Order: sequence, then structure tokens, then C-alpha cells
Amino acid sequence: MNTKLRKNLEGSLYILPFGIFWLIFSAFPTLYGFFISLFEWNPLKGSKFVGLNNYIYFFTHDRFWNSLYRTLEFAVIFIFLTIFIALFFALILYFYSKDKLRAFSESVLFFPYLLNVSVIALIWKWLFDPDFGLLTYFMSIFLGKAPRLLNSTLWAIPVIAIASAWWLSGYRTTIFLTALESVPKDLVEAARIDGANTWEIIWKVLLPLIKPQFLFSLVLTTISGFTALGQVMIMTDGGPGYASEVLALYLYRLGFQYFDMGKAAAAGSILVIIMLILTLSGIKVIGLGGEIE
Amino acid sequence: MKNILYKVVLLFISIIWIIPILWMIDTAFKPTPQIFTIPPKWIASSYTLEHFYNLIKNWPIDRWFINSFIIASLSTIISIFLSVPAAYSFARLNWVGRDIIFIIFLITMLAPWQVNIIPLYFIMNSLKLLNTHISVVLPTVAMSISVFLLRQFYVNIPKEIEESAKIDGCSNLQILLKIIVPISLPAIAALAIYIFIFAWNEYTWSLVALQKTKMFTIPIGLKAIQGAYDIDYGLLMMAAFLATLPVIIIFLLLRKKIMEGMSWSGAIR
Repeated sequence: MNTKLRKNLEGSLYILPFGIFWLIFSAFPTLYGFFISLFEWNPLKGSKFVGLNNYIYFFTHDRFWNSLYRTLEFAVIFIFLTIFIALFFALILYFYSKDKLRAFSESVLFFPYLLNVSVIALIWKWLFDPDFGLLTYFMSIFLGKAPRLLNSTLWAIPVIAIASAWWLSGYRTTIFLTALESVPKDLVEAARIDGANTWEIIWKVLLPLIKPQFLFSLVLTTISGFTALGQVMIMTDGGPGYASEVLALYLYRLGFQYFDMGKAAAAGSILVIIMLILTLSGIKVIGLGGEIE
Repeated sequence: MKNILYKVVLLFISIIWIIPILWMIDTAFKPTPQIFTIPPKWIASSYTLEHFYNLIKNWPIDRWFINSFIIASLSTIISIFLSVPAAYSFARLNWVGRDIIFIIFLITMLAPWQVNIIPLYFIMNSLKLLNTHISVVLPTVAMSISVFLLRQFYVNIPKEIEESAKIDGCSNLQILLKIIVPISLPAIAALAIYIFIFAWNEYTWSLVALQKTKMFTIPIGLKAIQGAYDIDYGLLMMAAFLATLPVIIIFLLLRKKIMEGMSWSGAIR
């Protein structure tokens, strides 16, 4: 009995150092954020408890719904592009023999991941500059006139998503490639002998076997999709108008431009709830739970 | 024949992928009149360092580098010291409540802490930590993904390795320090790279926590430069290039290690 107590004590002692940091700077802020969201914040007159009024305000406010829609739009395009490009690159590299060109391509595709968000945003803002951008010029050759994509309410979000996909898909490529290479070679050979073509090998042998890594990447990509802020701020600053004002940017502005901390915290809590519902239901539906345990 | 087709495709993709970076470097060294031309020109008739001098004259970029470096290194070191014992406990020790606590950790891993900028702002303010390096380090080292990644590695270490040590009467702490840590060095290195890159890139919270120009990190500094110059792309690309230069050098030196490390962090089972 005494040893059992000691065992429990020892086990929890090992997680205590991390646990303290986690409690103060991860778990507590999430709960505290929800608490702040119940107040109308006023540093001069003192804050007033308003219950769920901040949330009710959002539900009747177009700017909130717009930011929610823009967040979804960005996330969907960004997640799709990133995962699709990464899988495509990984498969090309996988079927290509190991030589210098492949090592070079692997590095080149991975490299953008090491740049920080401000750098990639500045580069792509310049590439898509409405007057002198390199890509704007190329597109104007085909279209006849220069498309001003970053100034367009329709294209601002997709362009930011493209820039973000260029930035992050290399890391996913590396993860997928490592996963593909850990698939036993004789499985692929056996399928080939049975007469399967490359397409069938990809769908029936390779992809099912890299499912854990695929889901892990999907979760990470979903998180970055819903919390993207830096690239939006630098490339369009939410514009034109509010056409690219994602929820994270709206949250930031509520808090540090309008100093309405209660509403900003409410926006944060909504984002937390969305993330939890999405990732948890995603995990349940496609079954990452089994892989984690 | 098929191989040549592959080669062409691969080469084509690689070139497309690297063009934005080359264009950034090209722009950074062009004199301003040659930047704004239609059609854009890859090879300018002359190159210049004017943007570089302009930049270092007006902005403490070197200071931002040091700040970014301090924050990323501190985050990495502290994170490893915290997560190694925690991951070991989750993977190997049996105690009441272990699994439920692990699941709670997992759930907070799914809700990124950047959505907590408002409560964190209040917390750091009352701790008098705003505008310090440590204010960015603290939430970074509290990320449960570091414990999660290490635990996935520890779970897959065969138990037999520890059995003989246990028979010899080694305590858990001795087993952790003498057996587990040495064999998990590659995993620890991979985690270190992951955390370092994460902290080096952190934007959202740094923007809130670091408001004094002297305390900026590279990403926040670049945002400030962009706010001040807007479309002076020569200067902006020089700033982006300088922010990237150390990364390029480190990558050329440690390419294999970094890529192995990064791929490992996705290799959960």
C-alpha cells in the first residue's frame, strides 16, 4: 500500500515541473479568457459583469459573421492546397530514384518552412504587387491586363492562402515522404507483381498506410489555418474593406485597437470552441484516437 | 524515358518553388529605379547596398536578431528540461490519473495558445513581465505538443532495455538519466529543432507582448518596418533577406540533421 502511494507520488512528481507551467500559461489562460469575456471592460470606470452579452453582440453583428466566414474560406483553401501540394510532392519524390537532383528538390521544397511569417508575407506581397509584382506581370501577359489580386475582395483571401501553402507545405512533404519510405518495400513490390499500376499502389497501398501521419499533419494544418494572423496583417491588413479580416485579426483589433478586452476575449473563446469541435470531431470521425493511445 | 520525364518535372517544380526567394534577394540589391519596372527585370544593370545601409541606420536589426535568438534558445532549453521527465512519466510510470491527465494535455494541444492573447496579456501585465523575453518564452514552453512528441518516442522504446537495470536495483530516475535520455538523443534533438523554429517564428503573441522597438523579435520588427515604409520594396526585401540569411547559412550547414529532425516529429505511430 505504501509502495503504491509512493508510485503515484513519483509518477506525478515527474510531470509536476511541466504541469505547473502548463497550468499557469496554457490551461488557466483559456479559462480566464472565458471569464474576461463575461465583462464589459473599462479600465477607467471599472469593468461591469454583462453575462453573455458580448457573445450576443457578435451574433447580431455582421462584422463578426464576416470574419468567421473569411476564416473558414481561408482555412479551407489553405488546408486543401497545403495537403494536396505536400502529398503530390511526396509521391513524386517517393517514386523518383535517390540521386543529387532529388536531394536538391527535397531541400528546396522544404526550405520555405524555415522562413518566418513576416518574410513570406513580404515576399508574396511583392510578387502580387498590383503595379510592379512579378506574378502580376506574368498574369497580365495571359490576361491582357494586370489583375490586382490583393486589392480584390474575391481574391485577397485565396492569394494569402497560396502564400501560406507555399510556406508550410514543404514541412508536410517531408513528413509524408518519411512516412511513405517507412512503408515496407515488399508490400509495394507484391502489389506490382499482382498487376497493380502506380495509381492503384498509391490509393490502395501507400495512402492507407500513412494515415496516422496524414491525420497528424491535417490537425496541425487546421490549427495554423484557423489562427493565421501575421500573413494577413502584412499582405492585406484585412482589406480591401473587411474582405480578408479573419477572426484572429478581428480579435487582435478588438483587443489592441479598440481596447474592448471583453469582446476580444469572447472572440478568443469562440475560436477555442471551434478548434476543439473541429479537431475532436475530426479525430473521432477518422479515428486518430486509436493512433494516439 | 520515364526517368527523364520525372527529372524534368522535378527540376521544374524546384525552380518554381525557389523563385520567390531568388526574387527577394534580387530585389534587395537593386537600386530603387530598377525595382519598379515593367516588365520586371531579373538582371539589373547595377547592384547596390543602399537598402542595407538605409536599414541598419534606422532600425536596430542586430538587436532584434539577438532578441529572437535569446527567446528561441531559452524556449528550447527550458522546454526540453520540462518535457523529458513528463514524457517519461506518461510513457513508462504507472500512477493514478495518468491517462486522464494525458488526454487533457492532448485537448489543450489542439487549441493553440495564440487565441489566449487577451488573458495572457492580463496575466503577464500583473506579473510585470510585458516587454521581456521571458513573456514569450513562458507560453511556448507550456505547449503540451512537446510532451506529446517525446512520449510517442518513449512508448516505442522496447521495455527490455530497462529490465536489466531494474533488476540491478536502479531507480526510475537513474533509468531515465542513464538509459532513456541517451537513446532518445535524436528525438530530443528533433524536439529542440521543432521548438526553436516555432519560437523563432512566433508572431501573434510577440506582437502583443513586445511593444518596445528595442525588444522586438525579427518577425515583429519586419512588421514595423513594413508599417513605416509600405511599398519601398528594395528596403523591405533587404530586411527580409537579412532575416533569412542566418537561416540559409544554418540550413546549408545542417540540412540533413534539420530535415531528419523535422520528419521525425511527424512520425507518430
